[in-house]
Amino acid sequence: MADDTAATAAGTMRKAGVGRAVPGSRVLLPLAGIAFACAIWQLTVVVYDLPVIVLPPPWAVATSLSELVRSAAFWRDVGVSLFEFVCGYALGTIAGIAVGALMAESRFFRMTATPVIESLRFIVPFAWIPLTVLWFGTSYTGKILLVAYAVFFVMTVSTARSVMHVDPTLTRVGTMLGMSRIELALRVHLRAAAPAIASAARAAAAVGWIAVVAAEYVGASAGLGVLITNAATSLQTGHVLAGMVVIGLIGAGVSGLIRRLSRSRLDY
Amino acid sequence: MTGRIRAWTLGACGLGAALIGWWLLSLALAGGGGVISRLPPPFAVGAKLIAYARTDLAADLLASLKVFAAGWVAGVILATIAGVMLGRVRTLGRIFLPLVEAIRPVSSIAWVPLSIVWFGFGFTSKMFLVGLAVFLVVIVYAVDGSTRIAPELSRTAAMLGMNAWQRFRNLVLPGVLSEVFIGSRVSLMTGWGTVIVAELVAADAGLGAHLIGVQQSYDVAAVVAAMICFGASGFVMNALFSAVEARLMPWRQPAGQDE
Repeated sequence: MADDTAATAAGTMRKAGVGRAVPGSRVLLPLAGIAFACAIWQLTVVVYDLPVIVLPPPWAVATSLSELVRSAAFWRDVGVSLFEFVCGYALGTIAGIAVGALMAESRFFRMTATPVIESLRFIVPFAWIPLTVLWFGTSYTGKILLVAYAVFFVMTVSTARSVMHVDPTLTRVGTMLGMSRIELALRVHLRAAAPAIASAARAAAAVGWIAVVAAEYVGASAGLGVLITNAATSLQTGHVLAGMVVIGLIGAGVSGLIRRLSRSRLDY
Repeated sequence: MTGRIRAWTLGACGLGAALIGWWLLSLALAGGGGVISRLPPPFAVGAKLIAYARTDLAADLLASLKVFAAGWVAGVILATIAGVMLGRVRTLGRIFLPLVEAIRPVSSIAWVPLSIVWFGFGFTSKMFLVGLAVFLVVIVYAVDGSTRIAPELSRTAAMLGMNAWQRFRNLVLPGVLSEVFIGSRVSLMTGWGTVIVAELVAADAGLGAHLIGVQQSYDVAAVVAAMICFGASGFVMNALFSAVEARLMPWRQPAGQDE
């Protein structure tokens, strides 16, 4: 995850340098890329004479998207998926930060909990989907717990790591000022690790959002995952692609929101 | 050394406590109370695991691993080639990198229904999904590795009068390959997760198909046993790859082991 942010940072730096040399190229070239991709897409459809079921042309997907946006059922699906995601995400983040901080602060707890966490961590959330369907049916509870599970492990592991990597000088300063262990944990360690925890929260959001969609494939009555599987079984490929665009937009939007929040609050 | 023994004892205690907690919880929920309709006790899961290992486990695991390996290898190779092209050729990068960034948030999981429409329920559609998942992870590392070359190294190369091919062979390629290697490890779990979802949805072969099969016959203990198989094989793959990584790149601390 840290590598990912580094890559983004490197990318922005390079792009900024290029933008200064040729003004406007930062907007124009990506637009050219998207236009190029759409052109290839359209050409493939025309040249191979693909039926709409296999690959609808770009404008058909745009039409499907505008149809979807105008229907109430679509907004209900988006609402259900977002509701499951937000509840599960909040639950998983809070629990993950708490357990991660505890693991970093207490050697005893860390040694006891690490094998349990490590062995559960490898049972990826997707493998839990059939079990949550058996336990909770198609209700929201199963999906909320699944998202919480997915988010929890990302948050625990990275919170523990970043709290343990807090500059030891800060701990010494806190001890000198007569802080208790709890005060030190809450007011010094978590504070100092907050930017790293925030970037983990961004990675966790991506994982959690995908877990919602995957869980909805297997057992759900509403949601974006249901929307695209239903569209696929009724061979409305345009709706499938439009649904994928919406899933991507929401995923990117959530990640951008968290980045903006952490930049404005944790700029140190 | 005593610290090590302490860590092992405490770890074993933690695992034991978790198992006992599970067992007690299964006793408490045995009557079918609460939201969780049925929680199998650990012994039942163990028995199912042994029964499964005696029958179809090897065949199912092999089918899943085949899909995974084919998709993973294809994804890593294509991502390396594409990453180097986008990273080294400025114009290509400026045109196509935003496109890659636009596709990345649409995780490969969201492609499952489309891939089934395109390739049907079979090996190809699952391989496509795994390959896509791996590609989208590794390409970031490949682009990163091919653009970030220490300036003093390229100055040295210029001073030594290296030609373009020599520069590529001696400067760019090692950097790219070591980044791609790290990306490949990160993509192991992404790819394995994609295999699971693809097999759950298009259940025709593999561990995921078995998982859906026992789920539909309400055999909760067998469901948990299949989940453990998924977790164990993911763990083994990760451990193997980390060992190779430690061997090939000893200067690099694998993530998650810096305690």
